[in-house]
Amino acid sequence: MKEKAVVADIDRSMYDFRYSDEDSLKVDEGLTPDIVRQIAVEKGDPQWMLDFRLHCLDVYNKSEMPDWGPSIEGLDMDHIVTYVRPKADRMQTDWQDVPDDIKNTFERLGIPQAERESLAGVGAQYDSELVYHNVKDEVAALGVVYTDLESAMRGEYADMIQQHFMKLVPPTDHKFAALHGAVWSGGSFVYVPPGVTVEIPLQSYFRLNAAGAGQFEHTLIIVDDEADLHFIEGCSAPKYNVANLHAGCVELFVGKHARLRYSTIENWSKNMFNLNTKRARVDEGGRIEWVSGSFGSHTSYLYPMSILAGKGARCEFSGVTFAGAGQDLDTGTKVVHAAEDTYSYVNTRSISKGGGVSTFRSAVVVNPKARGSKSSVSCESLMLDDISRSDTIPAMDIRTSDADIGHEARIGRISDDVVFYLMTRGMSEEDARALIVSGFADNVGKELPLEYAVEMNNLIRLEMKGSIG
Amino acid sequence: MPAPTWRWLKLNYYDLYDVEQPEAVSVEIDPAAEVEAVESRDFLLKDISTGMGEDMSRIAASSGATVHRFTIGEQHRASSPVRMQVSYWDSSCQMVNTELVLGKKSRMTFIMDLTSREEASGLGASQIRYRLDDGAHLTIIQVLHASSEYCVLSDIGGECGENSTFELVQIVLGGKLNFLGMNSRLLGKRSSLITRLGYMLDGAGYLDVNYVADHVGRHTTCDITANGVLRDQSKKVFRGTIDFKKGCSGAVGSETEDVLIMDDECINQTIPVILCSEEDVEGTHGATIGKLSEDLLFYLTSRGMDEDSVYEMMARARIDSVADHIHDDMIRELISDELDDMADRRKEMQV
Repeated sequence: MKEKAVVADIDRSMYDFRYSDEDSLKVDEGLTPDIVRQIAVEKGDPQWMLDFRLHCLDVYNKSEMPDWGPSIEGLDMDHIVTYVRPKADRMQTDWQDVPDDIKNTFERLGIPQAERESLAGVGAQYDSELVYHNVKDEVAALGVVYTDLESAMRGEYADMIQQHFMKLVPPTDHKFAALHGAVWSGGSFVYVPPGVTVEIPLQSYFRLNAAGAGQFEHTLIIVDDEADLHFIEGCSAPKYNVANLHAGCVELFVGKHARLRYSTIENWSKNMFNLNTKRARVDEGGRIEWVSGSFGSHTSYLYPMSILAGKGARCEFSGVTFAGAGQDLDTGTKVVHAAEDTYSYVNTRSISKGGGVSTFRSAVVVNPKARGSKSSVSCESLMLDDISRSDTIPAMDIRTSDADIGHEARIGRISDDVVFYLMTRGMSEEDARALIVSGFADNVGKELPLEYAVEMNNLIRLEMKGSIG
Repeated sequence: MPAPTWRWLKLNYYDLYDVEQPEAVSVEIDPAAEVEAVESRDFLLKDISTGMGEDMSRIAASSGATVHRFTIGEQHRASSPVRMQVSYWDSSCQMVNTELVLGKKSRMTFIMDLTSREEASGLGASQIRYRLDDGAHLTIIQVLHASSEYCVLSDIGGECGENSTFELVQIVLGGKLNFLGMNSRLLGKRSSLITRLGYMLDGAGYLDVNYVADHVGRHTTCDITANGVLRDQSKKVFRGTIDFKKGCSGAVGSETEDVLIMDDECINQTIPVILCSEEDVEGTHGATIGKLSEDLLFYLTSRGMDEDSVYEMMARARIDSVADHIHDDMIRELISDELDDMADRRKEMQV
């Protein structure tokens, strides 16, 4: 009889703490035109944005719920608070000015330490508002803009924001894109001027503290021609026994021969519905690199999309998804080859354990104009027990003869032979299995900065901790 | 498709509107001596799921048509294939229903030639259900080569007992609209499914495929391969699902696809799905889509062949590689003649 690892639930104590939100300003539960107008007033929106919000609400009300993915039963928009302003009066640029409980939250998550040691700038969002934003002087001196989206919308970048906001992800894209457009709040704006290379990463961290609330931050990044940026996104929340919702939106514009790496370690609590939308448009010779680790959430719909719009544009996607007990994580990517000689490479790993459901879903579309394009998709799935589930649903739509498209998928379990080999070298079975799973997820780990790779491996080790029986 | 995906891809299903109540089509049958052949109004296997879903079964049941049932008893081997020739004529909808019942350790090959009369137009359908008892081996060889105005539907579904094998070889050559559905439930321990699909589409031809392999029993295996060629403005959709059900430990499933796209206006859509509720399984999928590899092209052109000739040769080779699995001279000759006809028509058009 084969032995199996009995896997314990993740120790989430690092993330699972909370503070009172009594002093916060909250709109009423639900979604009505009055609530949308109230958010617009709170945000000081220009008229075009208020009009846009109301248009999005209309689109939301007319859109259908997705009928092809995981169940989102349990998410009742009539009981979601779409805007929670924390007690911080305004965004701070000095860490000492941030209110104590919010500051403690981010201290425990290690954000200020990371800023001191390895980041060029940090943004910290607490519920619906950014509470802290800072960029190092030497990076700002290069002309790099890293600020909250609301400030940018009212300042010298107002036209640029209006020109780009929700143009890549229109509200008609899907129901939750429309929801985002109606109630968005917070998020970051980054502009990297032509030819500028930002040597060390920028990071935004999103924390949702309030129970039964939604977070709808919008991230807009423009990396101009021949510029280079690495942006890191992190997110977490304490666990409540009511549903929380994250329906953020990320829009990335990568200029000619520019490069953007967008890394995410997502570790929302397991009562979170993560219905996030991310999309990049890449011009001639440009390059988008997605590095994505999905560990948290109750239910996820997450498929970063790359539109390779210019000749020779490239996309690389490295992703790992770890679905544990009570989780249904539907993740993957979409790539549209819309110009000649474009190239995409997708490499993902999915791990399911403890009754978790992991689904890899992808689409590679090669348009008639995309002659000479190449795409390679590889997805591997690991089942750690027989009460979990793992599905792969990759689609390819090829509309030119001059394309070279490869796809491979593999699903299986940890090889007993490999475990045995490691045990003969002195490892316990538990350590051997944890090592194998960490190695399996190395496609993402090796792409992350060291500190984040260590955090990811710690998460995996915690997930794998348990007795053998 | 058992696991739908984004609606904008338009891959989840194909709606055939306004399919009228079908009438029966006359068929020519040549059964082997060991096989009992009856025509009946009782559908014995009507509860078995097929690849095209319940709508197709409703159409079949509403036709008032009879079912051709071929039964072979325990331990018997059919000494020759059972042949069925179906030639559709001008009609809004014609249908033939077939049931294949194989006893323990029996063996049968069923060859079905689905065609239409020259220049006929309309819709013709076939539904085959099969049941394999323990250790049985069924091979279905089906060739679809209807006129360029004809829509053909081939729907198959069956259940496999312990140590049984279902082998399906399907060749699609031309035609206007071709739909292939197949659902095999591998119920018994060590039962297996092998499918070989070959197709060559030209003009505005369309092929829509939905294969489903349900692994239920332990140590079940499936091997699904599809090799094809798209020319002119043809379009193909391939949906292949390997579904590892809970309890099918030791199951192994593999799916491979190789598509050669010859012209810029062709459309190829592929969605190979693996669904897994069991830990101890191995599932793989691989696809190669597009043009010939540069290494192969260089090798052959350096031997004196021009590029067009290399493409023509490799296109035919894709169909031949599937036809090689057919151990029947008559049907291989039919395939070869049909490929020659397609090549001749192409030459005439070029002139």
